[in-house]
Amino acid sequence: MRDSVGSSLSLDPTYEIVSAMRTAATTADIDALDAEARRLMTAFASAGYERVEPAVIQPADLFLDVIGESLRARTYVFTDPDGAELCLRPDLTVPTCRLHLERHAHANTRARYCYSGSAFRYQPAGAGRAHPREFHQAGVESFAAPDPEQDDAAVLSLIVTALREAGLRGIRLRIGDLGLLAAVINALDMPERWRTRLHHQFWRPEAFRAELARLSSGRAAPGADGVSPLASTLQPDRLVPARGLTPPGDLIDRLDPADPAGAEALVMEHLEKAGVELIGARSAAEIAQRLLAEAADRRERPLPAKTAALIEAYVAVKAPARAAVDRLAKLARSNGVDISAGLHAFVRRLDLIEQGGASTGEAQFSAEFGRNLEYYTGFVFEVIAPALGPQSPVAGGGRYDSLLAQVGAPMGVPAVGASIHTERLLASLQGEGPEEHP
Amino acid sequence: MSNGKLILALPSKGRLMEQCTAALAKAGLSVMRSAGAARGYKAEIEGFPGIEVNLVSSSEIAQRLRTGKAHLGITGEDLIRETIADADARVRFVAPLGFGFADVVVAVPACWLDVRRMSDLEQMSVAFRRLHGRRVRVATKYMSLTRRFFSQMGVTGYRIVESLGATEGTPATGLAELVVDITTSGATLKANGLKVLDDGVILKSQANLMASKAAQWASEHAAIEAQLAARLRPA
Repeated sequence: MRDSVGSSLSLDPTYEIVSAMRTAATTADIDALDAEARRLMTAFASAGYERVEPAVIQPADLFLDVIGESLRARTYVFTDPDGAELCLRPDLTVPTCRLHLERHAHANTRARYCYSGSAFRYQPAGAGRAHPREFHQAGVESFAAPDPEQDDAAVLSLIVTALREAGLRGIRLRIGDLGLLAAVINALDMPERWRTRLHHQFWRPEAFRAELARLSSGRAAPGADGVSPLASTLQPDRLVPARGLTPPGDLIDRLDPADPAGAEALVMEHLEKAGVELIGARSAAEIAQRLLAEAADRRERPLPAKTAALIEAYVAVKAPARAAVDRLAKLARSNGVDISAGLHAFVRRLDLIEQGGASTGEAQFSAEFGRNLEYYTGFVFEVIAPALGPQSPVAGGGRYDSLLAQVGAPMGVPAVGASIHTERLLASLQGEGPEEHP
Repeated sequence: MSNGKLILALPSKGRLMEQCTAALAKAGLSVMRSAGAARGYKAEIEGFPGIEVNLVSSSEIAQRLRTGKAHLGITGEDLIRETIADADARVRFVAPLGFGFADVVVAVPACWLDVRRMSDLEQMSVAFRRLHGRRVRVATKYMSLTRRFFSQMGVTGYRIVESLGATEGTPATGLAELVVDITTSGATLKANGLKVLDDGVILKSQANLMASKAAQWASEHAAIEAQLAARLRPA
């Protein structure tokens, strides 16, 4: 999770720095890291964040269900003598969510926490580099605040102030807002299930583009695209037999979107005729429901090209934060789309950030930013230090309103958090940069 | 490395070993096990005094090639690609050998009429998580092949449960929703109520003669490799 601090695999100059720091760590280095972590915690605590120490060892099952396979591949999972599956935390956000939930079963209780501790990630040996498996995160998480923009701004200001007080100069901000994308898509005329699909695919730029192309070409139902990139490079072609059932085109045409119960019966009948048993956790009703959506897609008019173009144009916006607001407003106006509420929230957040003492003049807005950080739902940011560059942000965070529900809260709870990569902070303070460590 | 010989790693047991021995015999290469205690894990090839054969398990062959403890090895491409993340950077595929065919495929319950392609799987996983409160589970022994393929195909809403045997039975027994498994004819999958997704063939694998890029290659080793490859290549 919190991918901005520590997961980017490619060309990360701090890996060598950090790794060198660890193996060659002298007493002075250890003291420096400790002192830095303590300073950060003091700053967080005096801003009203309660100090917590979430468990290093986490239950693998719940954790892995939340973080997904991409980070799971880099999480140390093990079995204890009782056979329980456990893992070393790959970040501190989920552990802090769990801690909050243990204290407040409803989770919707106002709370602000700060922490400093180790996170652990397997580093696949890329290009012979030495990658650190352990690093430190110092961060904050804020739950159930009544005013999301104000809380976003408060968290960002706190992080920026803490970095500045640590002596870091010349930082740059990258920001994004997944709430704005939601506003754009919600303002456009299309079936709700298409909105869900676009929101869902936003994390994967290529899949998003493909989905948009499908919706606007009248092939909303799955078409013949995508070939296995591995299979295509390999060996003489041999047919894989028994591809199961042929696409049940006739069946889909017979389904009536107004009659889900009838659809379920038709699905059962189809399976029976084909001699296929219903196995596993999914019911015939679930299968019928998705086939009904497919039936509805077949009858739907395609997404107008103009609408698809607007979404593409939105995603492409990259500009200084204030200028971006004008661009987005113009884009929306010329397409007759109302996203003023989302834009107002965005501007208000910028104002609040400035009042909090961080300059937004230099902040670079990118509509695409936030992709690859799957659990974020709104405002996102990264802090870039001159010595390390954009490949290795020194801090990052954002809003994640659905995560608490995913770890077991009975409802979604507003949440925003951020963390500082302590080793990177120290490296940038010591002026170590990619130039000195090719 | 022992006394400058080329180390050839061959499977020590199982079906791949039988097929491998047959293929070598057909190529006129006879594998003679060493005498005494080393019998179980060392051998020579008649007429090739420059080769030392190490008999190891199939997955261990991948490790030896990766680390350079063997110059050459014969094993399935599936095991190589599963065990070595950057396989093409670490090993050289010298020759496909025409046996040990196995397709690594994504198979789902045949009753999933709404899931025919990988993109359906991703959409279905969203609904599944909403309804069942957890991610869909994929049972497999090919954990890294699965992760890489799913990510290339834009599928993210799943989690892997490691399965080291009878993987194809896990959807019916409720241990997983779908599987990534090997198949040769598809019959086992079908018997377990599963179907292969239309774009769900991850790898068409067969046994290969493979060379380690990490091993220490002496000039005489290259000549031996060329001779072996020429003999083993299926006509």
